[in-house]
Amino acid sequence: MLDRNGQRLLTAAFGLVLLAIPFVVHDSYYLHLFVVAAIFVIVAVGLDLIVGYVGQLSLAHAAFFGLGAYISALLSLRLQWSMWIGLPAAALFTGLVAFLLGLVILRTRGHRFIIITVAFAELMKLVATNWVDVTRGFMGLPGLKIPNLYVPGIGAVDISSKERFYYVVLAAAVIAFLLCRTMVRSSIGRAFVLVRENEGLAESLGISAFRYCMIAFVVGAALAGGAGSLYAHYVGFVSPDLFNFSYVTIMLIMVILGGKGTLIGPALGAVIFTFLPELLREASHWRMIIFALILIVTTLFMPRGIIFPLLEHVVPKRWRARHVDAS
Amino acid sequence: MVILGQHLFNGLLIGCAYALIAIGLTMIFGVMNIANFAHGEFYMLGGFVAYYLVSLVGFNYFLALPTAVVLVVVLAIILQHSIFRRLRDAPLMTTTLVTIGLSIFLEHSALMLWGPQPQSIPNPFPTKPLSFFGIYTTPLYIFSMAVTAALIVVGHLLIRRTRMGKAMRATFQNKEASALVGIRIDRIYMYTFAFGAALAAAAGAVLGGFIPVEPTAGGIITLKAFIVVILGGLGSFVGAIVGGILLGIAEALGAGYMPAGWKDAIGFFAVILVLLLRPEGLFKRA
Repeated sequence: MLDRNGQRLLTAAFGLVLLAIPFVVHDSYYLHLFVVAAIFVIVAVGLDLIVGYVGQLSLAHAAFFGLGAYISALLSLRLQWSMWIGLPAAALFTGLVAFLLGLVILRTRGHRFIIITVAFAELMKLVATNWVDVTRGFMGLPGLKIPNLYVPGIGAVDISSKERFYYVVLAAAVIAFLLCRTMVRSSIGRAFVLVRENEGLAESLGISAFRYCMIAFVVGAALAGGAGSLYAHYVGFVSPDLFNFSYVTIMLIMVILGGKGTLIGPALGAVIFTFLPELLREASHWRMIIFALILIVTTLFMPRGIIFPLLEHVVPKRWRARHVDAS
Repeated sequence: MVILGQHLFNGLLIGCAYALIAIGLTMIFGVMNIANFAHGEFYMLGGFVAYYLVSLVGFNYFLALPTAVVLVVVLAIILQHSIFRRLRDAPLMTTTLVTIGLSIFLEHSALMLWGPQPQSIPNPFPTKPLSFFGIYTTPLYIFSMAVTAALIVVGHLLIRRTRMGKAMRATFQNKEASALVGIRIDRIYMYTFAFGAALAAAAGAVLGGFIPVEPTAGGIITLKAFIVVILGGLGSFVGAIVGGILLGIAEALGAGYMPAGWKDAIGFFAVILVLLLRPEGLFKRA
């Protein structure tokens, strides 16, 4: 256990490591993985708000990611909007869609909720595949570019190299993480946990379960949409494959294995599960079989996940008290 | 008018198959309180095992179908003993995540064993179309239709008319009281699970003659079956049958009158509508 100064030191050291990555890692492929990992950190902390904090199993998260990617791609290719406007627009639009969907499905709980999130995800895939006039169907939308960054005093900076774009996604991931952390440490976060642990009690105290589920759902979806937009511009191409069910499975594994109901756990889970699949690339079918077994075993025998319980020895008690999670 | 009749007729078979799969799903949900997201994999396995028995081992078609069902049931019993027993009374999040994991596990095991190519089960029926009242069909279609319809009736009789079925329904209504009067709950769980897996495997084996079987077929079938179950009312046997046939027919009409590719959307809209207007499903719990 570390004291307060120790924690600051640890955080600072961790931050320095993150900043130093492009100087240390020269292999373009590994750098690529770091960029993708940072994008998935945004996705995972957003999903954790829904799955970990308000305790609703949403399988629509990959669909929100894909939706954000498509919106951003369409804005960029059809209307020539730059990513700097397209990204917030994609996040807002995805949040709006989640709000409308939430109006219908957050009235339900349990099985119905889960099934409708799957149905929504499949519907998004159908739209991306079949609305050929707009989405070009299976051919996807290629040709997305990373725009210049305008820095006051310096002018346009080209950030399209992996080394530079890494800092953009790192900044985005840190902002997303801090946003979620501020949220779960506030009264909103306490309401989330109460709704998860005892919805009846929450309602009897005047805390609307519907409202707090909606907040988590919309914020989580908007983060996924924003991450999708970053991903689309980084990879330069979107296709209906983004809506495949395997994506949402991997996102869930990031959250569950990391430790749902904590933020640092899923964030690290996102990094580990961006790298692990790539390292297992030699055996692509074995990879999914191994993941499935990890998901089954973790859920059955280690409901608190793996990463966060390991971290507890280093992470201060102060954090633990906030991130408390029994199930 | 004849074309409409043709669409309705085409929808009937797939509707019966949906019904068969949904019956098992709704029974497992009602009795064991598990939302089995791996249920469609039994459909996929039924089709694949039948295909391999016929085309590689050289089994007779009519012998291969029941053998495939038996083999899938053996697997289901193993899974029930190793995994599903632990899920009893577990939180919904746990059961869902574990069965999703199981579904991916089975799908990718099938991909590794059999490869990604869709396969049609060879069958001994003549391919010459039959026609009556202007509606065209094939002998294989009539056979499959008869088998699925017969299985639905058999399933219904099993649940309504036998002691075992009575015990299942009792467990469905109240576990503790059933255990109190001497029903062996563990056995009921096992029979329910095996029964559900058998119906899904049979649907897969029978439909494998028309719809090529592929390792990835399980996921969408699970989703369709869940849609049927929600439409019919969670835990309702009659609801599963009527919901399945309705969805099959609606999709066939959609395939006939809507642009290609959109028919799968019908079920999703239906389920959202039902949820808005009649959240308990079209039929109450039976």
